[in-house]
Amino acid sequence: MTYPEGTVHALLQTDLVTEATRTALQARLDAPAHYEPRFFDADTYQVLRAVAARLLPQPERARPIELAPVIDARLAEGRSDGWRYDVLPPDREAYRLGLGGINQAAQKQFQQDFRELNEAQQDAVVEQLAAGKAAGNNWMQLNQGRFFEELLAELTEAYYAHPLAQEEIGYVGMADVPGWTRIGLNELEPREPEEQP
Amino acid sequence: MPDEEVLEEGVLNPVKPEIQDPLLKSLLKEEAAPVEKEQPQPLPDPTDEVDCVVIGTGAGGAPLLARLAMAGLKVVALEAGPWHNPSRDFATDEKAQEFLFWNDERLAAGQDPVAFGKNNSGTGVGGSTLHYTAYTPRAQDDDFHIRRDFGVGMDWPFGYDELEPYYEELEQFLGISGPENYPWGKPRRRPYPLAPLPLNGAAQLMARACQQLGIRTSPAANASLSARYYQEGVGWREACTNRGFCQAGCSTGAKASMDVTFLPLAVGHGADIRPNSFVTEIERDESGRITGVVYQQNGLPQRQKCRHLFLCAGAVETPRLLLLNELALNSGHVGKNFMAHTGLQVWGTFAEDVRPYKGIPGALISEDMHRPPQADFAGGYLLQSIGIMPVTFAGQVARERKLWGQPLRAYMRQYNHAAGIDMHGECLPHAENFLELAEEKDARGLPKPRIHFTNHENERRMMRHAEKLMRQIWTQAGAQDIWSFPRNAHLIGTARMGLSGDDAVVNADGKAFDVPNLYICDNSVFPSSLSVNPALTIMALSLRTADKFLEARRLVS
Repeated sequence: MTYPEGTVHALLQTDLVTEATRTALQARLDAPAHYEPRFFDADTYQVLRAVAARLLPQPERARPIELAPVIDARLAEGRSDGWRYDVLPPDREAYRLGLGGINQAAQKQFQQDFRELNEAQQDAVVEQLAAGKAAGNNWMQLNQGRFFEELLAELTEAYYAHPLAQEEIGYVGMADVPGWTRIGLNELEPREPEEQP
Repeated sequence: MPDEEVLEEGVLNPVKPEIQDPLLKSLLKEEAAPVEKEQPQPLPDPTDEVDCVVIGTGAGGAPLLARLAMAGLKVVALEAGPWHNPSRDFATDEKAQEFLFWNDERLAAGQDPVAFGKNNSGTGVGGSTLHYTAYTPRAQDDDFHIRRDFGVGMDWPFGYDELEPYYEELEQFLGISGPENYPWGKPRRRPYPLAPLPLNGAAQLMARACQQLGIRTSPAANASLSARYYQEGVGWREACTNRGFCQAGCSTGAKASMDVTFLPLAVGHGADIRPNSFVTEIERDESGRITGVVYQQNGLPQRQKCRHLFLCAGAVETPRLLLLNELALNSGHVGKNFMAHTGLQVWGTFAEDVRPYKGIPGALISEDMHRPPQADFAGGYLLQSIGIMPVTFAGQVARERKLWGQPLRAYMRQYNHAAGIDMHGECLPHAENFLELAEEKDARGLPKPRIHFTNHENERRMMRHAEKLMRQIWTQAGAQDIWSFPRNAHLIGTARMGLSGDDAVVNADGKAFDVPNLYICDNSVFPSSLSVNPALTIMALSLRTADKFLEARRLVS
């Protein structure tokens, strides 16, 4: 099932969306194509981009939604979401160890860095990570299951916070200025897009 | 990793990294030497002692602040977060609203680490009521007597009858929407002032299936207005527009958060609410009596003298402040008895168009499992239907189902067909579940709280019971691809109320056993978790605590 393209984009230009909401969503749409990492070094940042591209692959998009900047900017600014698994080290250290560990796992399995692998090989490494079976010394210091959970959750939330991803799943909750009156099963307002087969 | 970065971790304003290069360091040092250093300013020492300082402006602090101000007392409330303008500043966007959560890092330990941040915390004038879902069922009579009835846990030092007048007052004051005849608990003397809010897709699915299975349901009581309502000290508040965004901030004022109800009332009666004020020290004289508090306001230290202190900072920051100040620790129970409701959710995919972003998330409730027959556990639970915002849903899918790649994207494309049910059930206190101060410090230089939590046999059995039932309901409703999201919700305990200073921090009036002029009122004083959402009971306790304080004061004078 898909929803018509351009729905959210069009709604953002209307009075159905508040100024505060429009500002938040438009900033993501307008994010510059190029992002210079502020926390990660250039190589590590590219590992993060490559991992993000496998966890949330977007082959249909000429310009995929960039997810790595969300994590890099957060770590650079030292922001937290209010909690951390006690078994994990502080976020910055966890990400450095974890991304390094992904490279170690790639080396062990395919004798190459993660970025140099083809997509099928990269997926094989991610599968090991998801199963808690990735090889590498860094995993002696980092709980693999919890790290993967945090990495996946942060990237996934970053992706679905983007207006284009929200459009993809048919979410138009941001267009709430008039409120919703048709809220029962199978009840749609005119501004809610219908699914296309 | 270099040490200086530990201090930066998890803070909004990172500490400037220390310069590593020794040469550059010495050069900078020499250059800096002749410049006259800014001298620390002495703390302002105002002579104006106020009657009461209240720390925290959420469900625990706001109602009593209004009550004390209305009694003519000079009161100051200190709130760590800012004062918002919801109609202008609140976006219908989950990420943009993250400023509502207490984002100083907390460490989650134990076998079932509890998530904080957006799940279980809040900051800003109004506290976590800014993003509570406003479910407001009353606790039932037997909720207060878990030990009497089951021989486990702890009884409250008083029962339902003591809180009933406050429940009633709150329902009328806040404008709670609810059914004419609520099927569970003692009959109420006055009906809910407003009709229930409409049922959304998830609620309709649950209602239909429960009816077929012989489980009673009812439209839920919710502190959002189903019709415009006159709020004393505020004016007319408009009806809920079914934005479905309660958990990320209500921008219309329809939800009874403290900033649109008790706090304006308090201000109208002279209360002084100071935002961005983070309390660090509680000062005492030689006799142990509190004389005032020191707080950081916009980065500057301030002092406020007071005759009485009301600590209402929630079940993490309240014990953290007590531990940091070595205050009221004689019982050994500060930080102990940490509880979090069993809160497992069950999700399914339906053929119908659900659009889970519309309407209050939990429009339907069942308390039929409050004390289920032949149960193999103490206590019980309630069930609620749930809608959900997309980013929250996506995060849960990632964490629990571990879907990634195209399967993740394919699953999320069914978002508009997803509906959930969740439970809130009793959690017993266990010695292994507690809060302590960690060695790791935050940017304020204060130790981070570490919270240990593990579900024990009683919680595990209850969750198994509820999961089985919720899966049965969703199967009956026609769900495909049913999955469970185990979680614990609501932070309870850590400074409990009791009859004796040997095993409790505060007495039945909310007054500390150890300190002559300290009151505590928030979810930390709950002796047991109750099997309902806690907000209404916290507010009821808050009004009662104010009344007990005023009563005692009248007796003295």
